[in-house]
Amino acid sequence: LWVAGVGAERPVCYSIQVTHYKQYPPNTSKVYSYFECREKKTDSTKDRKVKYDKTVFYGLQYILHKYLKGKVVTPEKIQEAKEVYREHFQDDVFNEKGWNYILEKYDGHLPIEIKAVPEGSVIPRGNVLFTVENTDPECYWLTNWVETILVQIWYPITVATNSREQKKILAKYLMETSGKLEGLEYKLHDFGYRGVSSQETAGIGASAHLVNFKGTDTVAGIGVIKKYYGTKDPVPGFSVPAAEHSTITAWGKDHEKDAFEHIIKQFPSVPVSIVSDSYDIYNACEKIWGEDLRSLIVARSPSAPLVVRPDSGNPLDTVLKVLEILGKKFPLEENNKGYKVLPPYIRVIQGDGVDINTLQEIVEGMKEHRWSIENISFGSGGALLQKLTRDLLNCSFKCSYVVTNGLGVNVFKDPVADPNKRSKKGRLSLHKTPSGDFVTLEEGKGDLEEYGEDLLHTVFRNGTIVKTYSFDEVRENARLKEGELKELLR
Amino acid sequence: FHKHQVEGEVGILINPPVSFQITHYKQYPPNVTKVYSYFECRRRNEAQFSEVVFFGLQYLLKKYLAGPVVTEEKIQEAKVFYQLHFRQAVFDEEGWRKILEKYDGRLPIRIKAVPEGKVIPRGNVLFTVENTDPDFFWLTNYIETMLVQMWYPITVATISREFKKILAKHLKATSGSLEGLDFKLHDFGYRGVSSQESAALGGAAHLVNFCSTDTVAGVLMAQRYYGCPMAGFSIPAAEHSTIISWGRHREKEAFESLLDQFPTGCVSVVSDSYDIFNACKHIWGGKLRERVLERGDDSTLVIRPDSGDPAETVIEVIRILEECFGSSVNSVGYKLLPSNLRIIQGDGIDLSSVKEILEKLRDEGWSMENVLFGCGSSLLQKINRDTLNCAFKCSYVESNGKGMDVYKQPITDPSKRSKRGRLSLRRNSDGFIETVEHGVGKPEEDMLVTVFENGSILQDYLLEEIRKNALLWEEEDPNCYQHNRDDLQAGEPLQKHIINGVP
Repeated sequence: LWVAGVGAERPVCYSIQVTHYKQYPPNTSKVYSYFECREKKTDSTKDRKVKYDKTVFYGLQYILHKYLKGKVVTPEKIQEAKEVYREHFQDDVFNEKGWNYILEKYDGHLPIEIKAVPEGSVIPRGNVLFTVENTDPECYWLTNWVETILVQIWYPITVATNSREQKKILAKYLMETSGKLEGLEYKLHDFGYRGVSSQETAGIGASAHLVNFKGTDTVAGIGVIKKYYGTKDPVPGFSVPAAEHSTITAWGKDHEKDAFEHIIKQFPSVPVSIVSDSYDIYNACEKIWGEDLRSLIVARSPSAPLVVRPDSGNPLDTVLKVLEILGKKFPLEENNKGYKVLPPYIRVIQGDGVDINTLQEIVEGMKEHRWSIENISFGSGGALLQKLTRDLLNCSFKCSYVVTNGLGVNVFKDPVADPNKRSKKGRLSLHKTPSGDFVTLEEGKGDLEEYGEDLLHTVFRNGTIVKTYSFDEVRENARLKEGELKELLR
Repeated sequence: FHKHQVEGEVGILINPPVSFQITHYKQYPPNVTKVYSYFECRRRNEAQFSEVVFFGLQYLLKKYLAGPVVTEEKIQEAKVFYQLHFRQAVFDEEGWRKILEKYDGRLPIRIKAVPEGKVIPRGNVLFTVENTDPDFFWLTNYIETMLVQMWYPITVATISREFKKILAKHLKATSGSLEGLDFKLHDFGYRGVSSQESAALGGAAHLVNFCSTDTVAGVLMAQRYYGCPMAGFSIPAAEHSTIISWGRHREKEAFESLLDQFPTGCVSVVSDSYDIFNACKHIWGGKLRERVLERGDDSTLVIRPDSGDPAETVIEVIRILEECFGSSVNSVGYKLLPSNLRIIQGDGIDLSSVKEILEKLRDEGWSMENVLFGCGSSLLQKINRDTLNCAFKCSYVESNGKGMDVYKQPITDPSKRSKRGRLSLRRNSDGFIETVEHGVGKPEEDMLVTVFENGSILQDYLLEEIRKNALLWEEEDPNCYQHNRDDLQAGEPLQKHIINGVP
């Protein structure tokens, strides 16, 4: 069915679900489903070095605002849907009656209740993150109708989680090689805009990265944050002037120095990043930056460094060689942890081939060669925003409880060939144990109040968003905690 | 053409580029009057895919670039925004206002492109972009980010077609014809994709090659942007919730209810909620066997496993079904289940697992007519810009009235070398498609067509013709299928054959 706010362009349902209203047991009055990032007990992927034990919950508010709240149904939309589905199935299977009921009784608002963990929360795998149920017995089929749109939360969750894991790596090595975490939030810059599958994905993904960092070139993310979350700052993400190959190569092969000089002069008082590998990165560092234009660089203030950007070759090798060359041309200092730092007017950004694994390799390699992480920042594109799937964190939306003929039944799947795919049973709640761990209680046991209050809060009910989180709250919930930092440095 | 004005979440100027491109107008050499750039899927040695399907540009043009895209209000909003984002004034307010004043907000840009649906070998120019007014040299790369997202529909359409090659080969070999090929790969990707918009675009790209989808958004995209009233079809199907909601010990009742609800037409029933093999043997093949057999020929029950090793599971399931329902032999000697009983494998399907399953089936003497496939993330999400090495690069500039071929050629990576000068695409005398650089191509040979100029869209491709352009050569001329193609890798261009046989 079309959903308002999408410009009547995109229906929010998977073909499969169109016919489900006919498939539930007769006299079903409630369908209750939940979402989790399943734990994988048997991991067959050997090259998975990163465990992703915990996930960042983020992105539900965007979906609620954009697709589910308010009046989502009109008579015209029902008619259109009916026609489209008749052609699509070559049969009349569309639940016109069900949607008319919602239109008449609820003025097109969805009689659904969603309870969720606060946005930004960092929760271990295998726990319930949100639940969905119908509030009107006639609309038992609605719970799983909204599944497809809700399960796309896998994407912001996965981007935010992967981004945060990289923050931990950067925090560890930055602390070890410099003794402080200054600038951590700018150490991983979002370069992903051109590598995502659509404009909408860019906005969602970029906003998820900004949960953990503040540097981005994917402007669409800022729009999503402002519109759906809100921040106290005027903008939640920043960038710096930077060159790209066309602004260098347009000068011609023999004029790379002129290009560099022109650009660096255009931006005298802010950091400027200049891609330097159009022809020969090492020559550019040694001869052009290191000699021809050296005087221009050393005159720059620490708040406006030249940031040299390699963009090809093996990432670690290239970074080390660039640092070595620059280290010979510019006076190095040793910081109080004993690591080498370039003078504050020159830095390096590695934005090619960076993913969570190569990031780890590069910072480790730098540490081994006694280079402080203060010297470098990273840009990540495809790996940050696109090279992710729903399988990375095993995101899954499953039915766990139904009421049929007035009786509640705990339901689940448990395929014989894959114990990892087993789902939870009954009504669920999330609690914290006295020792501070998270636990999901199944089969309605949360009602017994053994573990205190349910951490799932109602965020949506009958078409209205009843609880929202600001982006500042999301960031606060997701920040690296003292305990985590201690753990990393051990 | 139906123009969809972009809202932009904060009213930012059209679809904003990558932040750093905002500052590029200051970086080009002085007196530059033209920036000419192009898009290609770079060639790589030992690349898995040697040719690509060009698709999706029309959507981007119609949705984001056509008509007046600039207003004074947007200029103001952008100015304020970028001041905050860069913490200084770098936004080219004057440049944008000139577009507003001189062109009423329409973009002075020319885009030439390969016709949609055409299949082009890697390493060739697919489209070019240049400014048509010397004042707006900076515009070419400003719209780069938007245009480089072409990587996505191109990659989905290409991967989907690669699937089709594998399926066609096995279908022809085990059944003697390509009947039903269009329905052999069903798009299950909606829930695994990163956004609604990606679902729509990816879903439509798959429909260039197939007619079978659950990603309704793709059907609508094809309708709205490519003039096809209904590009894809589906059948009623169960999902786990509609089975398990009956309770652990009532799987048979759940199955039976489905047969009752959908007595005619096809229905797909996921059967692995607890034990797929038990379900096949004792429920479908046991308690409900008669119900299954009494279904008409056009009322196929499609059994869906959804866990376990894909190839092993399919083989085991088909063995059990043969035990319970028997089999017959088709005209080329391969076994068939009863015509109203089929299997759809929609879990763990990618290019290599589908090959594995089909080879195993063939080894066991089964026709591919017995199975269908569903593919989710491998089709719509497990791909990225590096899958086909998609890149947008500047190749030619004009300054001070002189043209100059430009390029990058990083010493540390020869595969990142870019093309030089003005480009055209032609079919050479051997029938191979190639890119002509340095502006020496003959206009009458150029396969690139002007599709966009100064805010107007000049070509409107319908999905129908796109589909024709993208047909496998076996589909175009089924009688041509005389060679034994078993020894040929899917996708390898044959030396003596024309790569894309459309004039």
